[in-house]
Amino acid sequence: MPATILVVEDSKTVRALIRAALLADDYRVVEAPGAREALTALEDTPVDLVITDVNMPDIDGLTFTRTLRARSRERSTPILVLTTEDGEAMKQRGREAGATGWLVKPFRPDQLRDTVRRVLGARA
Amino acid sequence: MRTGEVTIYIGGVYASGQPMVVKTLLGSCIAVCLHDAVRGVGGMNHFMLPGGNGDGDDAGRFGVHAMDLLIGAIMKAGGDRRRLIAKVFGGANVLDVQGPVVDVPRQNVEFIRTFLKEEEIPVVSADVGGRYARHVHFHTQDGRAFVKRVRRVHAVRAEEQARAAPAVKYGEITLFE
Repeated sequence: MPATILVVEDSKTVRALIRAALLADDYRVVEAPGAREALTALEDTPVDLVITDVNMPDIDGLTFTRTLRARSRERSTPILVLTTEDGEAMKQRGREAGATGWLVKPFRPDQLRDTVRRVLGARA
Repeated sequence: MRTGEVTIYIGGVYASGQPMVVKTLLGSCIAVCLHDAVRGVGGMNHFMLPGGNGDGDDAGRFGVHAMDLLIGAIMKAGGDRRRLIAKVFGGANVLDVQGPVVDVPRQNVEFIRTFLKEEEIPVVSADVGGRYARHVHFHTQDGRAFVKRVRRVHAVRAEEQARAAPAVKYGEITLFE
């Protein structure tokens, strides 16, 4: 069965770019425009990997990451942060929040797929 | 209090929750001004899609990135993307003859209209196309924008191209231990 990936990103256009990149590798993609919607989606659908933005309305991506790490089901689910934030301090905050990786936008579709494959492979 | 000023160039992005005037000079490039009236947060970018190399996907990707950077900067300054309105400027045509060449300025304008529609950000004013360069002054706190059309579009475009980054750059990937 293909792995399920949750994409949390407030921009519809960016979500579509991420989805297109992932579907080329036959993943099952669940999308959410924000952390709140993502948490609702997670109630019904367990996922193998989460890709999240940082700057989003209501709940930012780092708070969302900490929330997932405090839950039993997503405690060890890989979380890749995909963000325009390229500063070292923010990256460290991501690490402390429990992120698995930090990817700075803009992303290359093949590099995103490679990273996803690597992270899912390391877990299997 | 005296309002601060900042000038941006191609590839630049600036947003603030403080009263600032963001200035730029546009030829074929596009500048988008976004404003959240409730918080008094505004910002501007200045970009050009790398058109004409046949790779439409890449062109779109970097336009999206220019907008992603601006929206991110506005949110960091305390704005809310759900309240944003947009003003769009630039995209001057510099060719004297319309031929079978790739019309990059028009592609830029079409890209930004499609993007803003998809993201449900209303465009409240636009001054695009034509054969003149534009000075744009944008007030971040109240969202006012002033445009002055100038004749020397070729000189401005040459300056834009001289300042343009030689190649588009993808972001770094870090996997933590």
